Amino acid sequence: MPSEMITLQLGQCGNQIGFEFWKQLCIEHGISPEGILEEFASAGSDRKDVFFYQADDDHYIPRAVLLDLEPRVIHTIMNSPYAKLYNPENVYLSKHGGGAGNNWASGYAQGEKLNEEVFDIINREADGSDNLEGFVLCHSIAGGTGSGMGSYILEHLSDRFPKKLVQTYSVFPNLDEISDVVVQPYNSLLTLKRLTESADCVMVLDNTALNRIASDRLHIQNPSFAQINTLVSTIMSASTATLRYPSYMNNDLISLVAPLIPTPRLHFLMTGYTPLTADHELNAAPKIRKTTVLDVMQRLLQPKNMMVSLSPDRTNQHCYISILNIIQGEVDPSQVHKSLQRIRERKLASFIPWGPASIQVALSRRSPYVHASHKVSGLLLANHTNISSLFDRCLQQFDKLRKREAFLEVFRKEPMFKESLEEFDESRSVVDDLVHEYQAAATPDYVHWNPESSQI
Amino acid sequence: MIHDALLMLWDCSPTNGSNENNYSNDGDAEIYGRIYEIAKSHHRIQNFVETTGFRSRKTLSASNHKLYGLYTQALSEGMSEVLQLYKKTLIEVESLVIGNINYTLSFVYSYVEKYRGLFNTLNRVITTIKERRLVGCQILSLIHQYILNGSEMVHEAIVKIFTCMNKVFVNQLCTWLLYGELRDPYQEFFIFRNLDEPSETFLSTPSSAQTCDKSLVSTLQDATLDCGFTLNPSMIPHFVPLSLAQEILFIGKTVLLFGFEPKKTKKSNNFATNRSMMTLQKCVTDSRRFTIWEEKEAEFHEKLQKLKNPEVFEVCNLRSVVRDIKECVTKHLWTVAVEEAQLIHELKLMKDFYLLGRGELFLELLRLTAHMLDKATTRTSTRDMNHAFQLAARAVFLSNSADIEKFSFELPYVKPNTTGNSSVEEDSNCSSVADGWSSIILKYDFKWPLHLLFTPEVLARYNDMFRLLLRIKKTQHDLHALWKTYKQSASFPVSQLHNKLMFLMDNLQHYMQADVLETNFSRLMDAVNKTNDFEKLKRAHATFLADVLSQSFLTVTSFSDSDCSGDTGDSINNPVFCNIMDLLKLCHSFCSMNEIVSDREAEDYYIRGYSERFNKLVKHLMQLLVSLRDRPCGVYLARLLMRLDYNRWLSGEAQLTQSVTNMLRY
Repeated sequence: MPSEMITLQLGQCGNQIGFEFWKQLCIEHGISPEGILEEFASAGSDRKDVFFYQADDDHYIPRAVLLDLEPRVIHTIMNSPYAKLYNPENVYLSKHGGGAGNNWASGYAQGEKLNEEVFDIINREADGSDNLEGFVLCHSIAGGTGSGMGSYILEHLSDRFPKKLVQTYSVFPNLDEISDVVVQPYNSLLTLKRLTESADCVMVLDNTALNRIASDRLHIQNPSFAQINTLVSTIMSASTATLRYPSYMNNDLISLVAPLIPTPRLHFLMTGYTPLTADHELNAAPKIRKTTVLDVMQRLLQPKNMMVSLSPDRTNQHCYISILNIIQGEVDPSQVHKSLQRIRERKLASFIPWGPASIQVALSRRSPYVHASHKVSGLLLANHTNISSLFDRCLQQFDKLRKREAFLEVFRKEPMFKESLEEFDESRSVVDDLVHEYQAAATPDYVHWNPESSQI
Repeated sequence: MIHDALLMLWDCSPTNGSNENNYSNDGDAEIYGRIYEIAKSHHRIQNFVETTGFRSRKTLSASNHKLYGLYTQALSEGMSEVLQLYKKTLIEVESLVIGNINYTLSFVYSYVEKYRGLFNTLNRVITTIKERRLVGCQILSLIHQYILNGSEMVHEAIVKIFTCMNKVFVNQLCTWLLYGELRDPYQEFFIFRNLDEPSETFLSTPSSAQTCDKSLVSTLQDATLDCGFTLNPSMIPHFVPLSLAQEILFIGKTVLLFGFEPKKTKKSNNFATNRSMMTLQKCVTDSRRFTIWEEKEAEFHEKLQKLKNPEVFEVCNLRSVVRDIKECVTKHLWTVAVEEAQLIHELKLMKDFYLLGRGELFLELLRLTAHMLDKATTRTSTRDMNHAFQLAARAVFLSNSADIEKFSFELPYVKPNTTGNSSVEEDSNCSSVADGWSSIILKYDFKWPLHLLFTPEVLARYNDMFRLLLRIKKTQHDLHALWKTYKQSASFPVSQLHNKLMFLMDNLQHYMQADVLETNFSRLMDAVNKTNDFEKLKRAHATFLADVLSQSFLTVTSFSDSDCSGDTGDSINNPVFCNIMDLLKLCHSFCSMNEIVSDREAEDYYIRGYSERFNKLVKHLMQLLVSLRDRPCGVYLARLLMRLDYNRWLSGEAQLTQSVTNMLRY
């Protein structure tokens, strides 16, 4: 069973999107909530073994580790029809159940404290696979558990499994609305440092953009968590489609990730998906649009379909470092070349000036068990220099709080910040460097770029 | 004297007509001369009829003379039939002359004069046959040319002769079309059997027929498409167009094919199977011949027999009958090949395995065998490879599917001492034994009638594709494996070169798989779904393979100034392909750099070298576009370059001349 992936779900948000992800995978592979393969799905040529393994009684168990410091979300999962799906040994709840109080430092400290138990689970799970390719970490960067404990696990995963890939699905907070987590900018920045340094690939799921898409594109007035999470699980399932529905290429995670990330630190990927349909729309008035490959590829390049909110690029200096489109559905393969040509002619996407770059298109099958209202759907994974604007905003928010020295006492309580707040400054400089590197990557001089020179 | 003339006309007296001069009338001499001319031409015809006729054959066959064929016999019979009328006239004249002695020589002449034209024509036929040494269908063709004649009598006579010969032709056609049998002991039909053994006799004794069949089965099992029957172009009657002749050949061959389905005949011979099974199988074998035609055998037979009537025998009628039969045959072939042997499924398998459609399987296989294929093949390589293949199949949960069993690998082992001439391709450096990558062969065990499609030649071409794709995939995999390492290293030039190589390999693979294979395969599937004619399907498949090969630059071109070294005729010398191979080699040395290089300085040195080589190769690739502009493969190269040079970086970097840059704009 080659190229297996282990999913780690951390904190409230991580477990919620993880739950949606597994729900989606079960539907796509024809696996019942109890983990039993449905009658109709017995002849499938899909690869369930990338994300599932089979128990002795042949029922499918996700390679998932569920971690949280407070019981609410995990209890919801355990009371859902999917309770029996998971391996109960892989569900870890801290005993005190008090959570991390939305405090990164608390989450980090608890991660440290619980690290033996957590890594026992991870090791056991890793031993159970033949040829583990890597880990997928689902978390939010704003809260306490997902960000703090997630940071701790990230740092140590790369120590313990230096050869394995670490991919994260990181949820960025919604900046349009006032958060009830006041220390969110602190948490985000501290997590961003770890994401920059320890992760191999970060899929940025921006709540701001997801909410905007839900209201603007799907016409949902007040999108619920569940509705947002459906968007997330759509992206997650589509981005793993080539692994699960094997075709001629992109059969392992590395082949998806490596072409997208040419330089070590610029590994934050944006996603885009089209066409999107909300459940309520589907039932009310099914708007069937004509979808062709060119259509889908063009729409994927429009900012409004991007699941990351970027500040407008007024000087028009930002560009794509790389693009990978995963097109699913009934596609006439000859269309791909024509579409690529058209996009190139019309200069719909601008690319980096310092190296070769192109739009790679992977054609993938769709699950035969899910009814799709569109003939063709596409997912875009892109490495774009303008993602720095997202980090820039994090920096600004951080600076605002930091200048006022606000809410620092909750951090001082924890061992890491007891003596000094150096960690904040360090993280800030890491993220700042990242922003600069992204900006530099839009220029031809990037070849000669090094972090030291930018700081002067 | 009149009697003399009559005898001469009857061809009894061998006299030459100028010995007597006492004529009762002055003009008699001339008339006698004319009668003599008729008699002479009749004599010539009679001679021909006698030497070629049925009875003469018996006497001649004893001696070692060249035999006259069935057509010649038919011709002579036809002629003698025509002569009957003449003889009847003579008898009539004789009785009249006997009854009335007052009749003059001119009276006799008036009776026989009308035969002059006919005899002239026949004599012309005979001389043509003799001069041109015509045999078989050629004679038929000749006679057919004479049918249109202004003289009613000549026309009728020729039609009569033609009818005789046509019977032979139609009979031969009939046995060939309906049973695939060639009843042609004198090699007169326009289809002939090309036997390897020249000593093979054509006596139609049952025992020799048996041996013929056996050799046929063996040739079929050797999966040769041609079962030895070919058209003899010089024999094709002028009224049968070449396309029609080919159709006729095809029908017979196909019918033969159905008769010798190896699996079924083998099974029926197998005595170990239990009785009921055996009888059932036997029934199937026996009935097979007839199931081709279903109930139509009689109908077709009748239609063919009708063609014996010269009025019906028109090319359009012949064609329509042949078309009908062909339709029936191809329909049956379709059922056997496409429905019973699941051709479409097999085609998909070809794509999944030969064309690496099952990426995950080959990824796993590469993981297991890359180290083995890097080295020269050993005696156990084939076994190890197949073992690894089974393991890989199990790993991706394919082992329980029956399709996996159909495929196996072979790594031809070449003794290191002998010069490796059995390695299939690409031995640019003849001194070293080819490694596994260039010699690996994927073998495929297909169901019975599919050898029509997957001939050894076709499979060899599939293997060419397979080796190229496997190599690209392996290189890509190697480069990907280094990604994590270079991600952690700080050296920008190394990681950038790594990126460029990776970019190149990724895009090359995307081009191969999406632009070439997927596109052409979907076209093939469209064609297959549209038709239910096996021949069309076969053509579509051949087109598919040819397109794929040419678009993958795997075709051999007559490009003289290619920089590819040591091309020994057989190897692929397409300049684009050579360039791609060089790039693959570059990637390979880049990947193995880690093992040689220890310190930073050496690394820099290597990286500089590799970068230069990369730039040179890429530049060369783009420049090839100019020289290949007018060739079809130039178009495909442009497609590949469109992917590679998507952001116009490579072309900018390569500092090309204006003309090349313009071309890259497409």
